[in-house]
Parts: sequence; C-alpha cells; structure tokens
Amino acid sequence: MSEIELLWTEKYRPRTLDEVVNQSEIVARLKKFVSDRNMPHMLFAGPPGTGKTTMAHCLAHDLYGDNYRQFILELNASDERGIEVIRSKVKEFARTRVMGEVPFKIILLDEADNMTADAQQALRRLMELYTASTRFILIANYPSKIIEPIQSRTAVFRFTPLKREDVVERLKYICSNEKVKCHEDALNTIFELSEGDMRRAINILQASAALGEATVENVYKVVGLAHPREVREMIQLALSGNFAEARNKLRTLMITYGLSGVDVVKQIHKEIFSSDIKIPDEIKIVIADLVGEIQFRLVEGADDEIQLNTLLARLALIGKKFKPG
Amino acid sequence: MSIALPWIIKYRPKTIDDVVNQEEAKQAFLNWLDNWGKPGQKKAALLHGPAGCGKTSLVEAVARSRGYQLFEMNASDFRRKSDIEGIARIAAQTSGLASKRKIILLDEVDGINTKADEGGIEAIIELINVSRNPVVMTANNPYSKNLLPLRQNVLEIPMKRLTETNVVAALKKICSAEKIECNDEALREIAKRSEGDLRSAINDLQAIAETYGRVTLELVKSFVVYRDRQYAPYEALQKLFNAKYLFQARDALTSTDLDYDELFLWLNEHIPTYYEDPEEVVRAYEALSRADVYYGRIIRRGQWDLLSYMYDMMGPGVAFARKVYKYRFKPFRAPVRKRQLSETRRSREVREALAEHLASRLLASKATVKTEVIPYLQVIFKYNPRYAARIARGYSLSEEHINWLAGSKASEVTGYMKRGEKARERRREG
Repeated sequence: MSEIELLWTEKYRPRTLDEVVNQSEIVARLKKFVSDRNMPHMLFAGPPGTGKTTMAHCLAHDLYGDNYRQFILELNASDERGIEVIRSKVKEFARTRVMGEVPFKIILLDEADNMTADAQQALRRLMELYTASTRFILIANYPSKIIEPIQSRTAVFRFTPLKREDVVERLKYICSNEKVKCHEDALNTIFELSEGDMRRAINILQASAALGEATVENVYKVVGLAHPREVREMIQLALSGNFAEARNKLRTLMITYGLSGVDVVKQIHKEIFSSDIKIPDEIKIVIADLVGEIQFRLVEGADDEIQLNTLLARLALIGKKFKPG
Repeated sequence: MSIALPWIIKYRPKTIDDVVNQEEAKQAFLNWLDNWGKPGQKKAALLHGPAGCGKTSLVEAVARSRGYQLFEMNASDFRRKSDIEGIARIAAQTSGLASKRKIILLDEVDGINTKADEGGIEAIIELINVSRNPVVMTANNPYSKNLLPLRQNVLEIPMKRLTETNVVAALKKICSAEKIECNDEALREIAKRSEGDLRSAINDLQAIAETYGRVTLELVKSFVVYRDRQYAPYEALQKLFNAKYLFQARDALTSTDLDYDELFLWLNEHIPTYYEDPEEVVRAYEALSRADVYYGRIIRRGQWDLLSYMYDMMGPGVAFARKVYKYRFKPFRAPVRKRQLSETRRSREVREALAEHLASRLLASKATVKTEVIPYLQVIFKYNPRYAARIARGYSLSEEHINWLAGSKASEVTGYMKRGEKARERRREG
C-alpha cells in the first residue's frame, strides 16, 4: 500500500482535453484553438463542479505542454483583495513576452462573477490593454453577473450540469481503480446528493470509501457529517426559548468548524427557510431581514458574537410567541 | 451558604433598632411621621447622607414596624405625565379604615437630571402638594443644585456616615448568621476600605466569603488587588444593572478606566445573567449590538466623536432594557469567552491557512475549498486515521492542520504517519 494518497478530485482530474469525458461540444471547440495556436478571450460559465477550471487547465496543458503552469496566471476573484491587486499582478505577468509556438500567455480569472461591476469595468480595460500578449479566461457560475461589455468581448462557453450516466460512470471507474467496493445504488445516491457537481460527487465517494465501502448508508452518513446540523440545532434551541444553550452551541460551532460570524449568518439564513423550522412564513421573512442586517453589521466590522447573540436572543423571543413544534 | 439572595437584601434592618448609629435621624424622622398632617408640619421629608449609611433601610424599617405600606417610586418615571398622574392618584388617596397607611418613597432624588428629566422636580413638588400621605425622599447630596426648589418644601433630616466600628459590628452579625469563619482584622480591613458605606462592605464580604469560603486578612488584601484589576468590570456591571437613573448607568461605565473590549466582553457574557425575561434579554442585546456597531465605526473610521453614543447604548441602553426595576445581585463570575475567543480565532486561522494550502493544488478558491473539500476531509480524518495519515503526507499537512481536522483522533493520525516513516527508513536502509 502506498504511503501517500491524494484527494481523488486531484488524482482523477483530467490533464488533457482528450481525457475529458463530457461537455464534448466545448472540448471540440477548444481542441480547434489548440491546433490553431490561437484563441479569443473566453468566458466559461456554469454551475460548480462541471469542469470549468479543469477544462481551462487542460487547454493550457495542450497548448504549452507539461510545464504549462508557468504560462498561465491563476487568479481567484474571491481570494484577491480588490482590482488593484489584480491589475498589478496582470501588469507584471503581461510584461514579459513568451518565446515559443504560442504567442500569448493565459490569465485565468476564477469566480469572476464575484467582482463588482466597477471592478469588472477595470478588468475590461485590462483585457483590451494586454490583448497583444495575453488571453483571458474568465470563469463564473452566473454569466448574468458578468457585465455586458465583457460578455461581448469574450467567447462564451456554457457548461451544463453533468448527466447521471457521466457521473456514475466516472465514479465506477474510480472505484475499480481504487479497488473499492462500490454499490450501484450508492453511486446513484451520490449523484442525487451532488446535483451534477462532479467535485462533490467524488469527495463524497472518497469519504464513503474511507468509512469502509461505498454503501448507501455510508454515503448518507458522510453527507450528514460533512454538513453538520448544528446550525439548525442552534436555531431550534433558540426558538424553543433556550437562549443560554443556543449561545453555547454557537461558541462550540465556531471553535470546532473554524467558522466566521459571516459563515454562521449565511448558514442561518439558509436554515431558516427549511421546513423543519416551524414558524409562520411571514415571521421567516422578518428573520431573514434581521439576518441580513446582522451580516451587514459584521461586514462593517462589528463583533461576531455580540451580533449573533443579539440574533439568537431575538429568535428566543420569537419562538416564545410562536412555539414551534 | 446560599448565593440566591444578596446579603444586602437578606440582612436589611428589620426593626428600627437594627439601624445603627443614627439616633438623631431616627428621632427626627419618627417625630415628623407621628405628627404628619398637623398644622405647620412639612408634608415631605428628605433624608440625606453618604452612600450606604442606611437612608432607605431606615424608611423601610420604620414602615415595617409602624405598619405603613411603602410605595417606592422611581424618580425617572416622573418624566411621563401618565406616571405622575398614577403616582399622584395613589398619593392623594386617603387611607381607609381597613387599608394600611402609606408612605411614598422617592429614592435618590438628587439623581434627577434637571435637563433630561425636565419637569421632574416640578412634578415632585406637585406630588407633595396633592399628597394625603407622607412623602419621603432620599439623597446623597442635599446641596445639589437640582434640589434647590425642593428644599423649602421639605424637612431635612441629615444622616451620619457610619464609623468603622459600626460597619465591623454589622459584618460580624452576618458572619455568625452565615456561619462563616471571619477574622476580626479582616473585617476591619473591609470596613476601613468601605469608608462607611455598609452596602459596599457587605457586598465585599459576600464576594470573598462565596469565593473562598472564609474571610481572612490576606484574602481581603489579595481581593483588593484582584478587585482593582479583575473585579472592576464586575463592579461596573453591578452598578450598571442596578442603576436607577440614566446618569448612573452611564457613570457605571465611564467612571471606570476599563478598556472597551473588556466592557463588551463582560456585557456580552452577563446580559442573560442579570436578565431572565426574554424580552429584557433582547432589548439589552439590541442596545449592546448598537454600541458594538458604533464601536466598529469608531475603530474603522477613527470617528471618536461617536464614543458617547456607544456609551449611551451600552450603559443606559442595557440598563433600561429591564421591564421593572429591582435590585439584582449576581456573584462574581469571569467571562468564559475570553479563553474561547482566542480558540475561535485560532481555529478560524487554521481553517483559513489549510484552505490556502490546498487551494492551488485543487485548482479552487479558498472559499470553495472551505465549503466543498474541508468538510469531507474532516470526515476522513475523524473516521479513518490510517487513511488520513496517507492524505496528510500527500499534501504535507502540518501538525496543526492535522490536529484541527482530526480533533480527538489527531494522535492516531500522527501515529500512523510516524509508523509509515519508519517503514520507509527501513526500506531505504534495507
């Protein structure tokens, strides 16, 4: 047994366009760019886990060879601090010309839809400024959040959620390669739970296999463990009027999972609308508004715990009025 | 030893004799009360003297032993016309044959702020005029400018500062009633520091006794040092939650030189300690969270002008979250959050660092790694340490990463890693 193991999402990631097993139309068009040694600016749009980033890397690999990573600049809009940082990195990267068959370098900007409209305008100017030496590949979940001027300057590729047979086939391939016992119904369950997101599907498979084998039972266990119900439990404690317990829960939650206040607030927002939270719908709207206000305050520099405690205290009072089941 | 009841309540003077060292005041007060309503007599009395000398206690003891019903009014209520009318209605009622006689008590009238509580003093004068029952007021400082218009309408009864001996005697009684080992020197030390304020002396005694189970000179002395540092926020809270007036609530915080973070920490911890009613808790937290928002703006934008709004919210805002005023004593308890705060921060930092570490390998943003990868890693690390050890090696995870991911299983994971290492060395040598 090897002493080293990788996450299967990395281990089984396609390295070349030939290895990609779905999104065949997109693959065909990208292969054309490779043979032409030229390509336009591009926008890869689609839901998470459909292969956008992977495909960009495969394309770069096929263009530049195994050492492709020195020819691309990888940026992530949600990790970079502001357009100024992006500007200086792009400027630095674009300054040197590449020697070789391909006359341009690639700038890969992931999660571009997380940029504000203003930042996107600045990005558009960058794209025009460095067209001679670079090509941009923008990656986004929601193309509608990309401003019109950028959409019109890029070739847009729409990635679709993966089909059941694609996902199940891939999972089977991994199972046989890893010599893991995988039940057909377990793989189907994984597909249902991952909603066409290949990354999530593979992660669930690997964690289930770590529990022994991929059975339906283990799949559910993994998903339950990975998406703890503690936020919901905290909300329910608060709604049952038990403010002190809810407050303790909040503290352990933040310690165990390393969540920030904003992380918790966002999860509360999601949970509130679940049918398990039994309070009248119109009250849920009031709570949603409250949650939004708390998030705004946190972003503005307020204290995580004080603000969240305020929210929990409010929930306790609401719960007292409506006595959820 | 019961911690449910604050000793200053439990050991309030029950009879007039229990009120010590105030013979002249007692005489004057009883004399006035007995002759109340006769021509030439003042309708109201003002008991004044230093804090904790027994003003309120005297009124209570007299009411109890002479069979009066005591109506205590919060002077800040005087601002609202409806309240004034409500009080006036009670005050104007004559006592029927069957009902008890009444005393109207207005505590700490020097706390009325002439600006903020506009009309408050006039309302009191009006109340005295219509009242058909004795009106008693207390004040620390009768010479306060605010009280000037009142003084010609009232009989002033000065009360003395208690001596050290008085205080020691009172403390001794409590010690024997509570069956606590109390050393005389220790009690003298407490009394000396109280400067004649019996209330604060009793509070100190209770705090020491409940913390250590006995009262010795060393404990008192170390408590004083401790109190100056650790105890200050507790005292500020005690004052804050028991403030009757706006200015007291504000002073409770501004008169300390505690830093703001400390105050927030303590208030955040202890709002549910002092308030049980969920509505009070909500109101208090809402005020505190507003203060926190101001504080955030102050820090971020350097707007120190906003500081007074912050104090308004965290002081009076929290104090007046209560529905009814009552004396609230809670034993000293340091916030647990301080320790947890650093744990939460550390935990968040490790998660952040881990996400960054994995992001470029997995071609994903830190945010995606946090939500889509780390939760599954945690499952693997907690349920299959042996397998986890191989992954830890594959990504050169640090010990801190492993500890965070595996929690209680961390040592198993590192154990497997070490075994793997040895096996490798053997192979290299072999």
